[in-house]
Amino acid sequence: MVRTSLKVVGAQGQGVNSVGEMCAKGLKRAGYCVFGYREYMSLIRGGHSSYQLDSANTLIRSSETHVDVVVCFNHHGIRTNLPDLKEGGILIHQTAQWKFSPEEEKLISAKHLKIIELPTLDILRTLNAKPILGNVLITAVVWSIFRRKPEELKALVTEQFGHKADLLAQNFSCIEEGFAFHGKHAANICVTLPEPDDQWRKQLLLTGSHAMGLGIVHAGCRLYAGYPMTPSSPLLTYIADLQNETGMTVKQAEDEITAAQMMVGAMHMGTRAITATSDGGFDLMTETLSLAGITETPAVFVLAQRPGPGTGLPTWTAQGDLLLAVHAGHGEFPRLVLAPADSSDSFDLMPEAFNKAEEFQIPVIVLTDKHLAEALFTQKPYDQKRSQLRRGSLVTDPKKLKSLKASDRYDPSAPDGISLRWLPGSEAVTYCAQGDEHDSEGNVSEASANAAAQMQKRMKKLEALKASLPEPDITGSEHPEILIVSWGSTKGVVEDVLRDEAFRGRQIAHLHYTYLWPLKTERFVALARAAKHTVCVEGNHTGQLSMLLKRACGIGPTDEVLKADGRPFFSDELKEKLMPLLRP
Amino acid sequence: MKKIPLSASGPVMKDYTCSVTPTWCEGCGNYGIWTALKTALVELKLQPHQVLLCYDVGCHGNMSDKMLGYRIHGLHGRVIPLAAGAKLANPRLPVIAVGGDGASFSEGVGHLVHAIRSNYPITLLMHNNANYGLTTGQASALTKKGERMNSSPNGIPEETLNSMDFVFSLKPTFVARAFSGNVPQMVQIMKAAILHRGFAYVDILQACPSYNHFATQEWLEEHCYSVQDGKKKYDTSDFDLARKTAVDTGKKIATGILYQGKDVPDFIERLQPRKNVKTTPVEEVAITDISRWMERFI
Repeated sequence: MVRTSLKVVGAQGQGVNSVGEMCAKGLKRAGYCVFGYREYMSLIRGGHSSYQLDSANTLIRSSETHVDVVVCFNHHGIRTNLPDLKEGGILIHQTAQWKFSPEEEKLISAKHLKIIELPTLDILRTLNAKPILGNVLITAVVWSIFRRKPEELKALVTEQFGHKADLLAQNFSCIEEGFAFHGKHAANICVTLPEPDDQWRKQLLLTGSHAMGLGIVHAGCRLYAGYPMTPSSPLLTYIADLQNETGMTVKQAEDEITAAQMMVGAMHMGTRAITATSDGGFDLMTETLSLAGITETPAVFVLAQRPGPGTGLPTWTAQGDLLLAVHAGHGEFPRLVLAPADSSDSFDLMPEAFNKAEEFQIPVIVLTDKHLAEALFTQKPYDQKRSQLRRGSLVTDPKKLKSLKASDRYDPSAPDGISLRWLPGSEAVTYCAQGDEHDSEGNVSEASANAAAQMQKRMKKLEALKASLPEPDITGSEHPEILIVSWGSTKGVVEDVLRDEAFRGRQIAHLHYTYLWPLKTERFVALARAAKHTVCVEGNHTGQLSMLLKRACGIGPTDEVLKADGRPFFSDELKEKLMPLLRP
Repeated sequence: MKKIPLSASGPVMKDYTCSVTPTWCEGCGNYGIWTALKTALVELKLQPHQVLLCYDVGCHGNMSDKMLGYRIHGLHGRVIPLAAGAKLANPRLPVIAVGGDGASFSEGVGHLVHAIRSNYPITLLMHNNANYGLTTGQASALTKKGERMNSSPNGIPEETLNSMDFVFSLKPTFVARAFSGNVPQMVQIMKAAILHRGFAYVDILQACPSYNHFATQEWLEEHCYSVQDGKKKYDTSDFDLARKTAVDTGKKIATGILYQGKDVPDFIERLQPRKNVKTTPVEEVAITDISRWMERFI
């Protein structure tokens, strides 16, 4: 894979995202697969943020620690991100008369870095253009460095500003000036992109949150209750922005407890509802999770991970809440924990999350993270024909409703523990969705035989649920010497690394877990027993999937690659960590 | 199992009766509230399957299996958002939340604040026995200052929260006060509350013979009067009068429908995406074509 990478850096609010997004769209339309990665701080103005785009003409799902081009909005970027450049990399900055320190000069000469100083303000003044248009000017310089055509950018700005003739004309001038500047002052400083591939042009360019939002709407979810907390907020924003078109009821609740309760109340009534939150917000929801466990109310929680404990690193990523998701809530009750890996899963798994919640009448936790929620993916348009609406043993037929007995609701002898469910308002006998331990009708019962029977009824669902889940996905060798195990958003970088030359031709397999609880281990055991090395790659400090695997089947990995610094795995970093395994 | 009568003549009290025997103390105000609730539902001609009753945790919550109707018995302090979520999913079904003073003014006081400002079209029957009965008599925020309670052997040091002043400060659209010893009045109040356009707050002063020794059945009988019984016609649309009347409990305690504002749209009416929508979110569950939104990402 020939990877081309661009990193736009600056203070928050300076236009980093806007240049990043424009370049991303331009590259995708030009025929490249783009993967976007944002870093920013928990503040609104200032700080230091970046938008990195890694692109290729083949599938790419990760970032590298070093890049080909750095675009700086301010001098902090020059200082901070000059070392991020690869050998021969290009730095574009806009700080007039910037003097590099002797150490920086040394770095520039040792790595043969090329520097372009763009007099943005002067050019804008000549054009009589507003400062905001600096973003277009910078993008045009990058575009010229990539040897692409100005028409491509013009098409993009026409889409955005086509209805405003004046503004469009100014955008066009900035594009032309950007190309002219590069041609005149730095024509020999270029990056050669690989041959484009048409397959990417018509694909979608969207974040994990967009993908999940589409999946939620697609699944027939009609109510979203949430409370803002990064990194779950982009999902709330997207769903809220669509509400006038989808007709969904969107409620920004007074706290996470409210959001969770509203979701459970709405699910009990019979619609599809969801809530999303992050670490501490999920802590607040766990009592409600437990309630859904005993009332057997279908429930769907999105838990977008960020590094804890406490407020932790609010705008960074982690995979530190797997055990939280598996164990959250008091008492013992069945649940499903699943983790989408990318923009495909984020869409495809949402109808499934609701289907499983309704079929098994259990809470479902969708475990995502900041990296997945905010990364930008190039994604094949979703195949909507595959989706199913499965509502399990929900009774809606009027005749059948009239024949129901109240004791059908929590009948402990129901097959697989899954009893009949019917909705408030149905013309039928009524029952109580009871948060106390209860008999089959939902009447409170503290009798020992009943308590044991109801616990068994609920826990039996876990066995049926486990049987309904697929084994983890396997790619690569069928008889691996090296088995790499991952879950959640780490999938993309593992796949990118394993496509690397160094790993080709070796007996390596990648086992990726989407469904994490209940945990299927048959395939893992078979592979791990035969493999020389079994490596769990996880974005946490303690190896949480390893622990679950050991508990479930008695076998753990031989090696662990762990990371808990708020950053995702970068492809070069992961490659370096896996290389020692290749030694005989 | 008894068949639900679905005749046009409407339901009778028996339709709400179930076989589980109440476990409340002798003389508990819950008996009266329980009877009034069933009567109100019957008089509104609601069949048990046409209502959702949501219960908080406390002595009142033990009503969850003492009558029929669709019921959900949730967590302590959280009945308001549970009921509100249910109502948003099916606005056609009357939703009644039943909670106590511990749930509504301590554990879940935030929910009460936001329910009033949101004006969710639900009813809150607030069983106000001014203590935590089910955990054997600890002080609530509404217990009289200085009272010696379980866990407060020296008397409670905190100020008593003036519940009515608090509720009125939030610009409610329906406020009533009732007394658990006056069933006919409770029935009238509950019926009006259930039919109210938005959030109906019903504060029911409830005798608790076991743990409330300051506002006893006798004391409440002596002190409560109904604003609707006065010589002068009481104007329920006068907010300032209502607030003054409700807060002034020095000599007598005003009961009845204290305030009702009928012109304020409820939460669902305020939702732009739900304007002119004839179906309910419960009916709308279906795999939905997302092509039009997907195309924007190309």
